[in-house]
Amino acid sequence: MNATVDDDLWSAIGDPTRRRMLDLLLVGPGTATALSERLPVTRQAVAKHLAVLDRVGLVRVTPAGRERRYEVDQDQLARAVAQLADVGATWDARLQRIKRIAEAIARAGHDAAHDPEHEPKHHRGD
Amino acid sequence: MEFGSIEREIFVEASPEIVFEVISTPEHIRDWWNGAETDVRATPGAEADIAWGRGSADEHVEHLTVVRAEPPRLFSFRWVADDTGALLVTFELTPSGAGTSLRMTETGFREKGWEAAVLEATYADHVRGWDLFVPNIADHARRLAASR
Repeated sequence: MNATVDDDLWSAIGDPTRRRMLDLLLVGPGTATALSERLPVTRQAVAKHLAVLDRVGLVRVTPAGRERRYEVDQDQLARAVAQLADVGATWDARLQRIKRIAEAIARAGHDAAHDPEHEPKHHRGD
Repeated sequence: MEFGSIEREIFVEASPEIVFEVISTPEHIRDWWNGAETDVRATPGAEADIAWGRGSADEHVEHLTVVRAEPPRLFSFRWVADDTGALLVTFELTPSGAGTSLRMTETGFREKGWEAAVLEATYADHVRGWDLFVPNIADHARRLAASR
């Protein structure tokens, strides 16, 4: 696991518009004009976002007539996603355990409430 | 360093009272947080150490401060604090059907976030998933983008 953090890379992928752009570019390469038609931002804004993605190596650029065509650099994206996923995955695992523990307690309380040997259990806060 | 946040929401088939107890009491924290030892109390301003691997060569201790504790609705604390800031973890509990909708956010300077995750991974006995996402990066990135 890569323990070092690339701040610029995180910064680039941390923006929702840029993530949406990567999402669109994963379907296939595109130009700033094509992307701006599918996003609620101007072509100029798209171009600025693409420059950020280019700077951190998340996209590769090739000339296409008067425009430039952008495609996702899969290796760099994999690296960024791995970094994102690491923190998210630890929380996913913790939340699954919280769910399991709480549901086990709830079931135990429910069973006790329906067991004639036991007094019905009071809910805290009643 | 960049200010970032992680958000997750999960449905739990248990009352908010039970879920609150699980997220805020030491005996349960130990079970869901990789064996963490802490004597934290669910009281605003309460401070506590949270330790992993006590007594071992890999011992790691962080400081934790409870920010808000409003049973059974809200529990938040800061941890991994230093002069650059801290991570703020917030649990919001909302009654939902026969259970609870549990929403977790962790916000703070991402670099600290990564460090914390890495340190914790050292003690993660049954946390797998580091390579869960690798086989299909494109799909995962798409889902990730859609969920944020």
